[in-house]
Amino acid sequence: MTPPYDPGDVVEVLRAPEPGGAGGAYRAFGETLRGLKTTMKRMTEKPVTVQYPEEKYPVYPRFRGRHKLHRFEDTGLEKCVGCSLCAAACPADCIRVVAAENQPEHRVSAGERYAAVYEINLSRCIFCGYCEVACPFDAITMGHDYELSDYDRSDLIFTKEMLLAEPLERTPLRREGE
Amino acid sequence: MITFSIDGREVQSPENLMLVDAAKYGDVEIPVFCYEPKLGNPVGACRMCLVEIEGIPKLQTGCSTPVKDGMVVHTQNTRVHEAQEAVVEFLLINHPLDCPVCDKGGECPLQDISFGWGGGRSRFIEPKRHFQKPLELSPLIAIDRERCILCYRCVRYSQEVAEDYQLVLQERGAASYVATFDGHPYVAPFSGNIIELCPVGALTSRPYRFRARPWDIEGSGSVCTMCPGQCNVTFTVRDDRVLRVLQRDNAEVDDGWLCDRGRFAYQAIHVDERVTSPMVRGQDGQLVPVSWDRALSEAAAGLTAAGSAVGALAGSGTTNEEGFLVQRIVREALGSRDLDSQRAPVSRDALLAISDPALQATVPDLEFAHAVLVLDTEPVDDMAILDLRIRKGVRRNHVKLAIASARPSSLDANAAASVRFAPGAGPAFAAELVSAAKGEPSSDDARSIVALLREAGEDVVILASERVGVALAALADALGLRDRAGAGLLVVPSSANGRGLREVGFLPDAGPGLSPVAEPGRHAGQIAEAAATGDITALWLLGIDPLRDLPYRLRWEQALSRAATVIAHTNFLTEGIRDHATVVFPAEAYAEKDGTLTHPDGRLQRVRPAIGHSGAGRYGWQVLTDLGTRVGLHVPRVLTSGIALAQLAQAVPFYAGITQDEIGGRGIRWQERPAASAFPAPAPASVNVSPAPRVGPSAPASGLRLGTFRSIWASPEVEHSPALAFLRPRQKIEMAPSDADRLGLGDGQRVLVSNNGTQVSATVALRQAIPAGSVFLQDGLAEDSANVLTGSIVEVRRA
Ligand code: SF4
Ligand code: SF4
Ligand code: SF4
Ligand code: SF4
Ligand code: FES
Repeated sequence: MTPPYDPGDVVEVLRAPEPGGAGGAYRAFGETLRGLKTTMKRMTEKPVTVQYPEEKYPVYPRFRGRHKLHRFEDTGLEKCVGCSLCAAACPADCIRVVAAENQPEHRVSAGERYAAVYEINLSRCIFCGYCEVACPFDAITMGHDYELSDYDRSDLIFTKEMLLAEPLERTPLRREGE
Repeated sequence: MITFSIDGREVQSPENLMLVDAAKYGDVEIPVFCYEPKLGNPVGACRMCLVEIEGIPKLQTGCSTPVKDGMVVHTQNTRVHEAQEAVVEFLLINHPLDCPVCDKGGECPLQDISFGWGGGRSRFIEPKRHFQKPLELSPLIAIDRERCILCYRCVRYSQEVAEDYQLVLQERGAASYVATFDGHPYVAPFSGNIIELCPVGALTSRPYRFRARPWDIEGSGSVCTMCPGQCNVTFTVRDDRVLRVLQRDNAEVDDGWLCDRGRFAYQAIHVDERVTSPMVRGQDGQLVPVSWDRALSEAAAGLTAAGSAVGALAGSGTTNEEGFLVQRIVREALGSRDLDSQRAPVSRDALLAISDPALQATVPDLEFAHAVLVLDTEPVDDMAILDLRIRKGVRRNHVKLAIASARPSSLDANAAASVRFAPGAGPAFAAELVSAAKGEPSSDDARSIVALLREAGEDVVILASERVGVALAALADALGLRDRAGAGLLVVPSSANGRGLREVGFLPDAGPGLSPVAEPGRHAGQIAEAAATGDITALWLLGIDPLRDLPYRLRWEQALSRAATVIAHTNFLTEGIRDHATVVFPAEAYAEKDGTLTHPDGRLQRVRPAIGHSGAGRYGWQVLTDLGTRVGLHVPRVLTSGIALAQLAQAVPFYAGITQDEIGGRGIRWQERPAASAFPAPAPASVNVSPAPRVGPSAPASGLRLGTFRSIWASPEVEHSPALAFLRPRQKIEMAPSDADRLGLGDGQRVLVSNNGTQVSATVALRQAIPAGSVFLQDGLAEDSANVLTGSIVEVRRA
C-alpha cells in the first residue's frame, strides 16, 4: 500500500503544549476569556429564539400552508362548484370531490352544482399549490396555517366544513422588511 | 384501394371513403363534430372538418367528400388552420363556456377540439344567446340549450335511427334549439343514446348528473344481461359503485346503441331493497338474514331431503356456468330430471332443428339480408336492440321487412307487409308459411308473405320467438336458407341467456350440449303441477320468480306454498320469493357477475365483474359449488369461473376447448369454431310439420281472444331504479275501438278482465291496429299480471 505521503519527505510533528506550566495556565484562562468575550459582545442583543408555541413564527404572504375554501362575501354562497379540476391537477391525488346539484330551496354555491363532499388529505398533500392554480373560481387558496400535526392520521383528512371555517388562530404574517 | 396524398404523403385507402376516415389511414386526424357514420349519410352541418383539396377553389368538408384516386389533400396549411380556428371561434360565440359546471367537462369533444384546433381567443364581446337552463328534456335527460352547437346529431338519431320522430330543431338561425315538436318530454325506448351522441354538454344524463368526472372513474367492460340482446356495455365505476352504463360498440351485437333499460337500470344495483345476504325463513315465517354456512346447510338439507323430488328453474341472467353447475347437481347428486329454463316447452328435437349451425343467421345479417321476417315476436320488447338494427336495414339497405304477429308491432310502419294472426297461433301460422313455401295450399296471408320474401331475394333472415318451435326449421329449409351465409334463423329465447341455458343442458329432455337423456323430466308447467300435488317437494329458482315470469300464476302459488323447500337465488324479494322461499341466496347484480352467456346467434360473451359484491354477496359459481359439495356432488373443485367454464366446455361438445381468452371482449360465435361440427344432427323426421288449422285473428264466438306480451319495462330492475320509476308499467288492456264500442268501454276506463273464475283489473287502451276480437295484456308485472288468467278467451267488463 502506498503511504499517504512521499516517503522521501521529512515529516515534522507539531505537539500541543506540555501539561502544566504556562501552557496549562493559558488553556485554563486565556481560552475561557476568549469565549467570554463573544458572550459579552452579544449580551446586549435580543434573543432570536421564538417562544413557540406561545409565539408563532410569521410567514410570508405567499406561504403555502393549509388550504382555505372561500365563500362570496355578499351572498355567503360557496365559491366552489365541485368541478373537480383541483382534484385533476393534484399531483398527490389527495383531493376528493363529490358534486351534487343545487336545488332552489337548498342553494349552496353560485353555479348549478356544488361540492357535496370536499376533502383534502393533508397527510398526503405536498403543498404545491396546483389546486389553487387550477381552480376556475378562486374557491380554494393556500392559507397560512402550518400547525398541522395531529395524533391520528385520519384527522388530517380535512372536510369542506373545516376548510371553509376560519382558522382558530391567525398565523402572523411577516411584515415588510422583516 | 386507391392512393391519395395527404399533407404531402402518399396514403392508400379504400375508394369512396369519406376523407376524414381515409385520412386515418395516413394517421392524420381531421376534427369533426357532426360526422357520425352510425347516423347515416353525413350532413355537413358544423364545418369543423374543412380541408383543402387541390383543384377545388374552396375548402371542402372532409366528412362528406369521398376520397378519389390521386386526390391531393392539405390539412396543415395556413388556410386550413385559419378556417378551423374560425369555425371554433364561431361555434363558441354562443357557447356559455361553463365547463366547470358542465357534466361533459373532461370528456367533451368541444373542449378537445377547441384546445387542439382553436385559436384560443374570441373577438365576440356582445351578449351571448340565452335560454332557460337546465331543463329536463325527459326525466332521464337534461338539456342545456345554450351549450348546443346545432350539430343535428340528436335530431338525426331520433328521426333516422330510432325513428321515434320526436326531436326536432325549432326556430331558425342563432335562435334554433332542440326540442320535441310540441314540448312533451322525449320518452322513447332508446332515448338515452343521444346523451352519448351529443358532442357537447347540451344533452346529459340526469341519473349521472354531477356524479363524477372522467378522472374520478374507471371503465369496466361487460355485457348487459337484461334481455337476450346482450349488448356490450362499459360500466362507469367510482368508489366501487356503478354510476353509469355506456355502450361498448360491437357491430356484431349491438351496433353501438343501448336501450334505456340497459342504460339506466344499473341503478337497481345500489338500492336498499336488494338482497345482499343469505336469508332463511325463521319460525315466525319471516325471512331473516343468516350466515352463508347456515343458509347453505339449510339449502343442502332441503335438497337432500327432497332428492329426486327437486324441480329447478332458471331464468334472466343466469350464466352458462351457473346453469351447468345446477343441472349437474340436480341430475347427478339429487337424481332428479325436472329442470327447465323455458317459458313454454320446446322439445329437444325442435331445439336441435332450430339451433342447427347450418341454419343460423347473425345479428348483422338482419341489416344486410334481402328480406327479414319477424315472426311472433316484438323486437322492442323481447330483444330490444334488434329493433334499431331492423330499422337500419330497412332504411339504409332497403331490406324488405315482413311481420307476422298477433299483436301489432312497432315496426309495422317499416314493413312491406304485416299480417296478424290469433294470439297463440304463431306455430300454426309458421306451419302455414311452410305449406305456402312448399307450394301447398295455404292461407292468403301466408302466401303473400312467402311471395314477398321470395321476391326480395335469396337471403332471408327469420327473427322468431323460440315458442314457434320446429316449424321454423322447416320454413328455413323450404325457403332454401340452409348453409346460406347471411341468411337463416335468429331465434329469440324466453330469457336473457335462454340459448346458453339450453345448450348447457338446463332442459327437462336434454343434457349438456343438447345430448339426449334416457328419460325426459318435467317441463316448467309440469313442475308446477307436480309441486302443487306434492310430487315435487323442493323448488330451486335461479333468477326467476314463477309468479311473475311464468304462466299459470295460481297453479304456481299452490306449488310454491305446498313445496317444503323453496331455494331462490335472487336480487329482489318479488312476491313469490318474499312469500314462499325458505332459503334465499343473494344473486349477483350483473356488474358483479363473472361468467359467460350465449347470445341468441350463438356468440359466447363474457360478463365480467366491474365492482365487488354488495354486502355478503358471493360469486354464483362459488355458491353453487359449495352447495354441490354439500349435497354430495363429486367434482374437481371450482375455484374460478374459468375452471367452471373449462368443465362446461368439456361437457358441451360444440363448445369444446373454449376459454375466456378466446371469448375475449367481443365474444365468439361457436358456429364459427371447428368444434361446431360436433353439434348433434337433428332427427330428420322431426322437421315435418303438420298442416295447420285456420289461424286468422277473427273474433271468437263469445268473449275476446287474449294475447299477452311482456313489455321492455316489466322487470324488477326497472321497478327498483329510481330514474326509471316513471316507466314502470301498469296493466292496460289493448283493444280495438270496435270491440270497445260494442262493450260500451272508452279509452282510459278501468275494467275487469276475467275467465275461468280468475280476473285482473286493467285500464283500457284503445289501439286502432289491434284486430277486432283480440285483446292484449301484459305479463311480468307485480300486480294484475296477465299470468293470473288461465284461458285464452276472456270477458271484459267495466270495473
Ligand atoms: S397543494 Fe398540491 S398536493 Fe396539496 S392538495 Fe393542492 S394540488 Fe394537491
Ligand atoms: S375548489 Fe375550485 S377547482 Fe376544486 S372543485 Fe371547487 S371550484 Fe372546482
Ligand atoms: S343537443 Fe347536442 S347533439 Fe343535439 S344538436 Fe345540440 S350539440 Fe348536437
Ligand atoms: S337491448 Fe337488452 S341487452 Fe341491450 S341494453 Fe337493452 S336490455 Fe340490455
Ligand atoms: S364534421 Fe364535417 S361538417 Fe360537421
